[in-house]
Amino acid sequence: MHSAATVTGVRDATVSSSRSSAILFDGVTKRYRDTTALDSVSLELETGRTVALLGPNGAGKSTAIGLLLGLLSATSGTVRTLGVDPREAVARGRVGAMLQSSSLPTGSRVRELVELVRSLYPEPMPTEEVLARAGLEGLADRGVEGLSGGEAQRVRFALAIAGDPELVFLDEPTVGMDVDSRRSFWADMRRLAAAGRTILFATHYLDEADQAADRIVVLDRGRVVADGSAADLKTATPERTLRFTLDGAEAGYLRNLDGTVAVDVRGEVVTMVSRDSDATVRALARSDVAFANLEVTGPSLEAAFLALTGRNADA
Amino acid sequence: MLALAMRAASGNSFAAFLALEVRRALRNRRYVIFTIAFPVILYVLYTAVIPASGDGTIRGVAWNLFFLVSMATYGAIGASMSQATPIAVERVGGWITQLRTTPLASSAYVLAKLVSAVLLTIPALVLVALAGIAVNHVALPPARLLELVLTLAIGALPFAALGIVIGYTLDADSAQGGMVLTFFGMAILGGLFAPVDAFPEPLATIATVLPSYHLAAVGRSVVAGALPAVGDALVLAAWTVGGGVVAAWRFAVAGARARG
Repeated sequence: MHSAATVTGVRDATVSSSRSSAILFDGVTKRYRDTTALDSVSLELETGRTVALLGPNGAGKSTAIGLLLGLLSATSGTVRTLGVDPREAVARGRVGAMLQSSSLPTGSRVRELVELVRSLYPEPMPTEEVLARAGLEGLADRGVEGLSGGEAQRVRFALAIAGDPELVFLDEPTVGMDVDSRRSFWADMRRLAAAGRTILFATHYLDEADQAADRIVVLDRGRVVADGSAADLKTATPERTLRFTLDGAEAGYLRNLDGTVAVDVRGEVVTMVSRDSDATVRALARSDVAFANLEVTGPSLEAAFLALTGRNADA
Repeated sequence: MLALAMRAASGNSFAAFLALEVRRALRNRRYVIFTIAFPVILYVLYTAVIPASGDGTIRGVAWNLFFLVSMATYGAIGASMSQATPIAVERVGGWITQLRTTPLASSAYVLAKLVSAVLLTIPALVLVALAGIAVNHVALPPARLLELVLTLAIGALPFAALGIVIGYTLDADSAQGGMVLTFFGMAILGGLFAPVDAFPEPLATIATVLPSYHLAAVGRSVVAGALPAVGDALVLAAWTVGGGVVAAWRFAVAGARARG
């Protein structure tokens, strides 16, 4: 069932190396003391694209980014960033990164931090452009202690792009942002992508991957379980999604109904993925399950994701 | 690796980083109160209380000069160790990791902390020196006072290294405690508040191996117009090298841990 959804983007990219490689994983395994964060992952992404690393918490997204930035070392396998050792790519100022929840240094102001990071890179972006792209024009002289969570995220985005790097890594960039901030953040991101930058972002928000990425790599428990465009992933997954409300739903019982592939119970909201929605609905109707508000929807990234990982993305 | 460190440590980027480090510290109320204001207040209060017994000389210098040097040394130690907590906060909070994603070499970060720690001793030293002139009518030529300020600032290097060791070893809350404990331990046992001559054994012996004791001794040599004793300089150099080695080790451990 999983193989059907796995688009062969990996091999395609390896063969057609006419465009240069932004990132490369070749048989990469990363083990921490008692967990395997990445399990023999092979993946190549070309430059000039916006790529989403999609997966639930613990899927290995941050580990993958840490390896690509040279912050971590692989247990085995080869990692290349822009064709070179990740630490060399970082030292040469070819990459920028927005890490998950890295605090900003106290006592500094927004403009000072942007200018500090600019001074570290060989060919930085002009300060005013950085501020404009990150939507920080009005906040340039603000101390970092006085920023809201969403504003601090925008500053961290500004620091990722201030050096005008070829490749930008964003690890869960919109966590803690409200809906408006998220919308304007992705608009900023699209402008950056349009300017020719390669962007790799990790997220567990399906809609962000769907809307912002040219290519989606789905990670689950340290493995690449799918790789392709949002459209590829949707069509590779013929499953339908059933959603209804039910008090005291038992996932175990629902999983045994005809055609069911995956079940996710969140409070009284039940999401089921079925490879034969007619059969599942009939089985549901025959049972004494007191469901309400049943909706059946066609192929979606959410269904693909749930079918691939057995979990909702934001679980 | 070394070449990268040197490249990052040279030119604009290092200067920009260092400048921001100093500016950030000067905006930190805790630094301004405890490391700039506190030594001069302590000096003025202390010498206001002491005069009853203070009509002679201590360890070869006039009592008011003795306490000027002691409190200036105290200020230099506190200021040079003041980067311990920021380093711990920046390490635990992820700012150091963020910097590791930029071309700034990790060693340049440590070097900037070391240099800023030395620079940050200067306000406290200057204030204590000025208070010596204004309040206690210390009779020293300005050039001699300037020499004292610069000597104590540079002589504070071993304490800057200790601050880095603490910042790379303890988490943010413990680092503050660890720094204050080390700072006061060094100040009291080094004889900055009460002369070592009054110490019972084995405290008097312990004092003679501490860098605080020898930094104050170097300061007294400077105000007396003499060259620092070789022994004092050697002990300070040994603490600088030892502290530097341990700091480099803690730094490497932190880096290895970050890389898992």
